[in-house]
Amino acid sequence: MLRFIAVRVFRIVPIVAGVVTIIFLIFQLVPGDPAVLMAGPMATEEQIATLRHAIGLDQPIYLQYWDHLAGLFTGNFGYSLTYKGSPLGEILLRLPATLALAATAIALTICLGIPAGVLAALNRDHAADYAISFSVVALLAMPNFWLGLVMISVFSVDLGWLPSFGFAGWRSVIMPALALAARLIALIARLTRGVMIEELRKDYVRTARAKGLPFHTVVVRHVLRNVLIPTLTVIGLQTGYLLGGSIVIERLFAWPGIGDLLINAVGLRDYNLIQAITVLFTVGFLLVNLVVDILYVAANPRLRHA
Amino acid sequence: MRDLDGMLSRRAILIGGVAAMAVSDLRLAEAARADNSLIYAHSVPVTHLGPDYGAFLRYPAGYEVGYVLFDRLVGFDESLKIQPQLAERWEVASDGKSTTFSLRRNALFHDGSPVNAAAVKFNIDRMLDPKRNTTNQPIWSPIAGADALDDWTVRIRTKEPYALLLNTLAHGSGAIVSPAAIEKNGDDSMALHPVGAGPYMLESFNPGQEVVLKAFASYWGGKPKLDKIVFRYVPEPSTRIAALKTGSVDLIDAVPPHLVQSIKQEAALEVLTKPGLRPMGLAMLTTRPPFDDVRVRRALNHAIPVATIAEKVFFGYAHASDSPLAFNTSGHKSAGSYAYDAKRASSLLAEAGFTRGSDGTLARNGQPFAVRLLASEGLFPGDLQTAEIAARAFEALGIKVALNKIEAAAYWDYLRVAEASVAWDIAIFGFNPSNGAGSYHLDALFHSNPPGSEKPAAWNIVRYSNPEVDRLIDEAKTTVDSAKYDGLLGKAQEIIWNDAPYVWLQVNDIISAARKEVRDVRVWPIVFTIVRDAHF
Repeated sequence: MLRFIAVRVFRIVPIVAGVVTIIFLIFQLVPGDPAVLMAGPMATEEQIATLRHAIGLDQPIYLQYWDHLAGLFTGNFGYSLTYKGSPLGEILLRLPATLALAATAIALTICLGIPAGVLAALNRDHAADYAISFSVVALLAMPNFWLGLVMISVFSVDLGWLPSFGFAGWRSVIMPALALAARLIALIARLTRGVMIEELRKDYVRTARAKGLPFHTVVVRHVLRNVLIPTLTVIGLQTGYLLGGSIVIERLFAWPGIGDLLINAVGLRDYNLIQAITVLFTVGFLLVNLVVDILYVAANPRLRHA
Repeated sequence: MRDLDGMLSRRAILIGGVAAMAVSDLRLAEAARADNSLIYAHSVPVTHLGPDYGAFLRYPAGYEVGYVLFDRLVGFDESLKIQPQLAERWEVASDGKSTTFSLRRNALFHDGSPVNAAAVKFNIDRMLDPKRNTTNQPIWSPIAGADALDDWTVRIRTKEPYALLLNTLAHGSGAIVSPAAIEKNGDDSMALHPVGAGPYMLESFNPGQEVVLKAFASYWGGKPKLDKIVFRYVPEPSTRIAALKTGSVDLIDAVPPHLVQSIKQEAALEVLTKPGLRPMGLAMLTTRPPFDDVRVRRALNHAIPVATIAEKVFFGYAHASDSPLAFNTSGHKSAGSYAYDAKRASSLLAEAGFTRGSDGTLARNGQPFAVRLLASEGLFPGDLQTAEIAARAFEALGIKVALNKIEAAAYWDYLRVAEASVAWDIAIFGFNPSNGAGSYHLDALFHSNPPGSEKPAAWNIVRYSNPEVDRLIDEAKTTVDSAKYDGLLGKAQEIIWNDAPYVWLQVNDIISAARKEVRDVRVWPIVFTIVRDAHF
């Protein structure tokens, strides 16, 4: 098991290096010069050149790349032009907000998606199933920023129940987390329903019922456990995509997280900040996948030598 | 059905709980009002606050905070007229090459040190250093230096008579900062720990998210009317509007024209508008045929329904230009109008030698009239929509149009390039002179580029060159007499307007909105929403 984990951790390094290189090259290729953007529309060509030199953008590309890569390995993410300091400090300030949002969204997914799927499976082809399946389709079809806008309009402007933006206590997290989780809730409800229906047909259920166990005991003790394994795996894998979705949602709700930081960094071509955030997202995504894999293997020893 | 019932009762509990929270929310809102603080939700994050080392960086938010936090020798009012601020009065020397300022004697910095002649000289010297003043060099470089004549008198010398000296001093970069604070905290400390002499001082600063200012009790103009001003970054326009409607913020900026109606419907809200300083236009490369022919350029000016664009794309929050300068720029003079007239456009093109073929396309000497139209997306208000309308209008005349869309951050790179590598014939562009000065605007866009230069020295991307215009601009730049200055600029505007290096489009309004109980918010034509004088 330890060897398995060690191998998997080791594999992360080249992937991160690859991502760093690709992002570096992409931003060398796309037009958009940070010196031009910083200097503003009033600057002369000469002043832009001075600025370009001051921030080291006039060095050859391979030198910039080498500095950048060497920096990353020593934990130095360079200098953020917009925040006038290490990008890491700014990211660490914003990280808790993004993590809180993602964690709430996952909690909502578990608390709403799984029970909805179970409920639909148990009431297959009845009113509750139809209602849930209809909601699933509706939620999957709704873009999350639109759902967010509708919620702001209803719950903040019309009803005045929830704050419309920013972070001011736990009530602020409800709408952004719901908007972020909506798609995942629907996906998980649909998946749970399918897996549950499949499991209910299996022999062990019939055996347990024949043995005299009441239906709810069979469901809770046996079926649900088997349903949870694939469901939790998918939730784990989708967590990475939640980070991507949070960029849009954070902007909509003026949530003080990393998503908006990234958008502004791209708009100003703050390379070091973009790189640092990308590396962080990549590592986060890979780590979540790793944890899911490890849990999966721990739960299913047959996979260890695969 | 039992499940449905269960869900219903659970929902009832949920609603009850949320309703209880709603009550506490109302109390919170009242508490906020009771403490006499104003919350301004703006569209752009503030990442640092000093006038130096990248000057507030993000436009316009940083400047808006800077105009409250710092005082200047002189200030703008809302029509960009110069008003006394730290200087009570000033006098221009007879040769026009220096101006002597008498300071008010009761002005203090937020750290308690006096705003005296030595402090002002310190600030002027600092801004003349290109290493410190990276972003606003063009408006500072005509200044030669400053001398403290006594404790309360400063003389600022210019290399030549400089018509825009006062505009530079009133500009965001003219902020007077505390030399004592720089001495104590370091040369670049203003970015995060600004110490000025404005009516409000810094309470807390969370870069990229929030700036909180509090009243400066020893302000020379008396204690300010508000206890606190909070600048909060809210990027999405619809979120800002929702927050204004709920009363969780008092003031917002950058309202998109199509959302203005939803604010007007609310009795508690008020829309604040002012025509901006940026005349939009379609730049034509005047050195490349057929745009070297003024008849072609005028024809395109007649081809676009600018009034309809102002009405339909900007919902009336834009006005057709009547000069190369915007209405509120200093020295603006109405120079004429190009009526929307497709027939006139066609006959001008025919005069220029173009004939329409059997397929309806224009051609001259066997060459079809084909243009590459470059448009940004999201850099200027309604830029892409406007370009699309223009493309259709040109096509209606028989011109072949290839419309290229470029992302906002990359757009500048396509404009200011060597002439041989200009990858467009027509490009949408607008210049916003942040010192509000007409001579500066005309100089940047229409003064001939120096001979032999590959890239435009400033923003003469159309390669317009007219010796008479150069002479008028050069003279205006060194003319301190304002009537004479206006006369020179007026003549230059008329010539440029008739030479039509641009298809002149519209000037957009700056649109902010506030709750009605907020008073004396000023919207400046320079995209700035200024809360210096605001109160409830």
